[in-house]
Amino acid sequence: MDPAEVEFLAEKEMVKIIPNFSLDKIYLIGGDLGPFNPGLPVEVPVWLALNLKQRQKCRIVPPEWMDTDKLEEIREQERKLDTFTPIPSLYYMELTKLLLNHSADNIPKADEIRTLVKDIWDTRVAKLRLSADSFISQQEAHAQLDNLTLMEINTTRSFLLDSLNYMYKLRSNLQPGRSQDY
Amino acid sequence: MPCERKPMRYGHSEGHTDVCFDDEGKCVVTCGSDGDVRIWESLDDDDPKSINVGEKVYSVALKVISAWLKMVENEGANFGILFSSDFIVKIVEVVDSSQQKTLRGHDAPILSVALDPSDEFLASSSCDGSVAVWSIESQTQVAQWQILQKSSDVSNAKSLCRLAWQPRSGKLLAVPVDLTIQLYDRNTWTHVSTLSDDLISQVVNVVVWSPCGKFLAAGTVGGNLLVWDVEAKLCIERQKHEKGFTVCGMAWHPSGGRIAYTDTEGCLGLLEGVPSSSSTVQSTKVSPKETHDYDDLFDEDDDRGLDEGMSDSRSPVKKPIMEEDDDDDDLMPATGRPRNRGSFLDDDDNSQDPSCVKLDGVPEEDGSSAILPAVGPAVSRPVYEGPMPTQPQRAFQPGSTPVHLMHRFMVWNSVGIVRGYNDDQDNAIDVEFHDTAIHHAMHLTNTLGHTMADLSQEAVLLACEGTEELASKIQCLHFSCWDTHKDWIVDLPKGEDVRTLCLGQGWAAVATSALMVRLFSVGGVQKEIFSLPGAVVCMAGHGEQLLIVYHRGTGFDGDQALGIQLLQLGHKRRQVIHGEPLPLSRKSYLAWMGFTAEGTPCCIDSEGVVRMLNRTLGNMWTPVCNTRDSCKSKSDHYWVVGVHENPQQLRCIPCKGARYPPTLPRPAVAVLPFNLPYCQTTTEKGQMEEQYWRSVLFQNHYGFLSSSGYEIDSEGQSRAEKEQQELLMKMFALSCKLEREFRCVELAEIMTHSVVTLAIRYASRSRRMALAQRLSELALEKASQIQEEEQEEEEPAYQRLICSSFEEMKLLLNFVFQEYLINIFKLQVSGAGKSSSSPAGQPRTTNVLDSMTMSNRKPAPLGSTSKQGKAPVLKPLAPKPKSKVQCVAQIQMFSSPAGSHTLPKTGFQLWLEENRKSILADNPDFEEMDVIKEGMGRFRTLSAEERLNWTERAKGDSDPKKRKREDEEGQVDEQTESDEGRTKKKKPLDTSAKLSAFAFNKE
Repeated sequence: MDPAEVEFLAEKEMVKIIPNFSLDKIYLIGGDLGPFNPGLPVEVPVWLALNLKQRQKCRIVPPEWMDTDKLEEIREQERKLDTFTPIPSLYYMELTKLLLNHSADNIPKADEIRTLVKDIWDTRVAKLRLSADSFISQQEAHAQLDNLTLMEINTTRSFLLDSLNYMYKLRSNLQPGRSQDY
Repeated sequence: MPCERKPMRYGHSEGHTDVCFDDEGKCVVTCGSDGDVRIWESLDDDDPKSINVGEKVYSVALKVISAWLKMVENEGANFGILFSSDFIVKIVEVVDSSQQKTLRGHDAPILSVALDPSDEFLASSSCDGSVAVWSIESQTQVAQWQILQKSSDVSNAKSLCRLAWQPRSGKLLAVPVDLTIQLYDRNTWTHVSTLSDDLISQVVNVVVWSPCGKFLAAGTVGGNLLVWDVEAKLCIERQKHEKGFTVCGMAWHPSGGRIAYTDTEGCLGLLEGVPSSSSTVQSTKVSPKETHDYDDLFDEDDDRGLDEGMSDSRSPVKKPIMEEDDDDDDLMPATGRPRNRGSFLDDDDNSQDPSCVKLDGVPEEDGSSAILPAVGPAVSRPVYEGPMPTQPQRAFQPGSTPVHLMHRFMVWNSVGIVRGYNDDQDNAIDVEFHDTAIHHAMHLTNTLGHTMADLSQEAVLLACEGTEELASKIQCLHFSCWDTHKDWIVDLPKGEDVRTLCLGQGWAAVATSALMVRLFSVGGVQKEIFSLPGAVVCMAGHGEQLLIVYHRGTGFDGDQALGIQLLQLGHKRRQVIHGEPLPLSRKSYLAWMGFTAEGTPCCIDSEGVVRMLNRTLGNMWTPVCNTRDSCKSKSDHYWVVGVHENPQQLRCIPCKGARYPPTLPRPAVAVLPFNLPYCQTTTEKGQMEEQYWRSVLFQNHYGFLSSSGYEIDSEGQSRAEKEQQELLMKMFALSCKLEREFRCVELAEIMTHSVVTLAIRYASRSRRMALAQRLSELALEKASQIQEEEQEEEEPAYQRLICSSFEEMKLLLNFVFQEYLINIFKLQVSGAGKSSSSPAGQPRTTNVLDSMTMSNRKPAPLGSTSKQGKAPVLKPLAPKPKSKVQCVAQIQMFSSPAGSHTLPKTGFQLWLEENRKSILADNPDFEEMDVIKEGMGRFRTLSAEERLNWTERAKGDSDPKKRKREDEEGQVDEQTESDEGRTKKKKPLDTSAKLSAFAFNKE
């Protein structure tokens, strides 16, 4: 799976926008959206929010968790614990990236948020690598990883699986050799 | 002492806090360790504006800043004082920060400093246990006392040891030392007296002088608040903090009557009616000079008398404050000093005494208390204890935040937002539209200093108050104008100021200080002007409606007395509301006034209660929502920006810990639902009642809109009506379940006709025959009402049509009844022999039905019907006269092929026919009606078996029916002529008769 595909999935998340136009309900396959009243917050999927934003038809209201205080708390928590902490949104990374890239002007302290989310991401990915490392080095048969987001799994999936395959092959080659030796 | 302790309010987060009043005593300014400075606009209704000054850690710095600000406000103040944990005190000239003076000598962090009112000396207390006085000029230590307990750091110090100089003269320096307060003389720097009280069990933290210098207030660690009369050394006021938190900031109101205090938990409290205040006010101009002399005398006495009493104990008290903050806590000016200083500075050049004389007039005590200090100041003051007049609220623009803010919303309404900036760099106005299709955003420089604004789909209206040179101006940016001149400016006559303004469709209105309303066209043509009966509070416009709220009189005890006028401009000009009082909650003021998007006037008071005009209830105001109910904490508010009736939305901005939102970060609109304050809304019944009446109320605008010629969303209207009927039906079902049949009928009365039929069906299904019968009557009545109404409107030619539809309805009803009536009659017939076994409910049904019909709607009961009610069996009655319509309908029916609907003969009819002659023989003068009545009476006296007999005969008797019916019709027609008034009343009976007969026939 490509990161772009994960991002595509993330675009289905709902986000609040404040439109500056008036439109009745629109009926889409995915569900009804609207009605849009100028000045009144309404929930739409991210893809639509970004599209409207690019056409300067709305302001995006950042999700509740996209707030320096909350993110800082999560970061501390993440650093303190060895396991993965629950994350407020399954698409936190993608959403942060999308929203900050397209509507940083609507999000207070955008830069700080970017840094914080990056920190959280780095911490989590480091943890992931670390656990993968110990998983392999201790030759465990299975491991449980809770609270991982799709994007995180995605970063490690192909590499981890391939390498496990290779190692398996190498080991299985090795073993018959050994038995032959003895 | 009549001193009232007001409830505490949450002001800041936990930690060190401080408080002071502004010069006029209008606002309380507090600061806390959360880094905010809050300005509490008035003491009773706090609208704290917060200014975030720094992060928590720097609360110290914040204090300095706030102190500076305060000093700058007092023109005379030149110094800011900085002191910090590096053991030095620095004096910085506010205007020119390069001028610094440094006072070195303390060996530990400074606890607090106090600047002498004449700017000559500076007193400081330090953690090294010393209190020092410095000469500012020479930067040397003038005196030092080792009286405090030593501590290593501010955070460890037990007491804040807030020093205070006696205002004006600066004669005495008050130093809180352990459980007492010690007073030092200015010139000799000797200890003159000690104030103490038994109540003080913990260390004194703060000392404040009253503005008059006669009283001294102290706050202690344990939350005690005490006030002394300094001359008398008498404790005249003792109060306890409601939660016993440590008092760390106190300030005396400039007029002296109130003390504001804050505690380490961040709460703000207020003591009202502190003695000095009233005496001060009353004595203000009594005899300043004498007073002054006396004061001096006493001062000296005190000094001498108390010399010995000095206690050395300076137990530092634990102070739950964060380390860093404390460096600054000590900041003196926060305790109200700057204010005093301000008044002093002018007089500083004079020697102290003369200055006293001059100033004492205002704040000094009255002569009496000075002469008889022992009696205490509160003894024989004549006090007016009746209701006190309320300060009338000032004019405001609905949807604006207060004028004194640097960044404020000048208006936020359903069209857009106008923001005003007035800071160092910029004095500008931003206009932004929610819907960019109306107009693009605008940025204007505010050279005229506009403070009021309104925004509509066509224009922006701005206005400023006049100054001495410039007249008050109105500026209108008419952006929807099609020519090139998009704006116009009008000057008001000299001396007349704009108070409030509003825009409607094609017009603008401005209310002025001359109690006048001026109307303009949106293009700038001056139109009508008219006077108002009182000072305007606010105005709102919508379409052709103009709403004006003004002061109708003086309110008392915190209430406002507001009046309201609603004018209809446009073609048919008229006044809809003629200055009736505007209802507000107790002790509240008007916070928002305007129209819903649909044009219904709506007002919101400071208690958060939203009221809406109910046009169908004689223009009364109905409370529709209380925004405070949805607030999480007491100091949270909702700032309303719009009200919509369809869909039902209250659009507002949640403000945490404040009444108004800040402009940044840009606040987001939230939507609150409406909720009428009905009783027992936790129960299903209460809920549905609330929903129903809310729906009815919010549907009123359709009527208004259509009557004033606007097009309406008929789909929405029918949806609302449907919803209401559904609710009624649900309530009906609920009452049925609870066996509240009377209630059911009451509900059915408000139902529309078609829903009543549903209700009938429901009642019959749930086997409530009595109810169903009643409802059927009701349905008929409703139908006839509808029909009468229609009749009034329609041409007679259409009558037939209506009649037929009416008849159809009746038939429908018949069918509905059919199934259960059949059952009942079967029962009755079989059980008629043993009349006792007849179904209990059934006979009563007729009974109640009849009497109820009469008592309810027919004040003149017919004897026959009530008598007939006693019959044990449901008896088909002889056909009664019908209303004209019915007759027509019936005739029509006869001619129609659907003959099955004709009524069969009943047992009574048969009997009557046979016995008519004998009745007539007995009473030859009887009319047809009387005959029937008499007949019924007689028939009833027959035994059950006989009656059953007749009934059986009636069943068998089908052939003569047709002929007889015709006869009857003839009779009916006659009667219709003769007593039409009565006939209508009979109708329900008649129906049931017909129904029952019909049922038999089917059988």
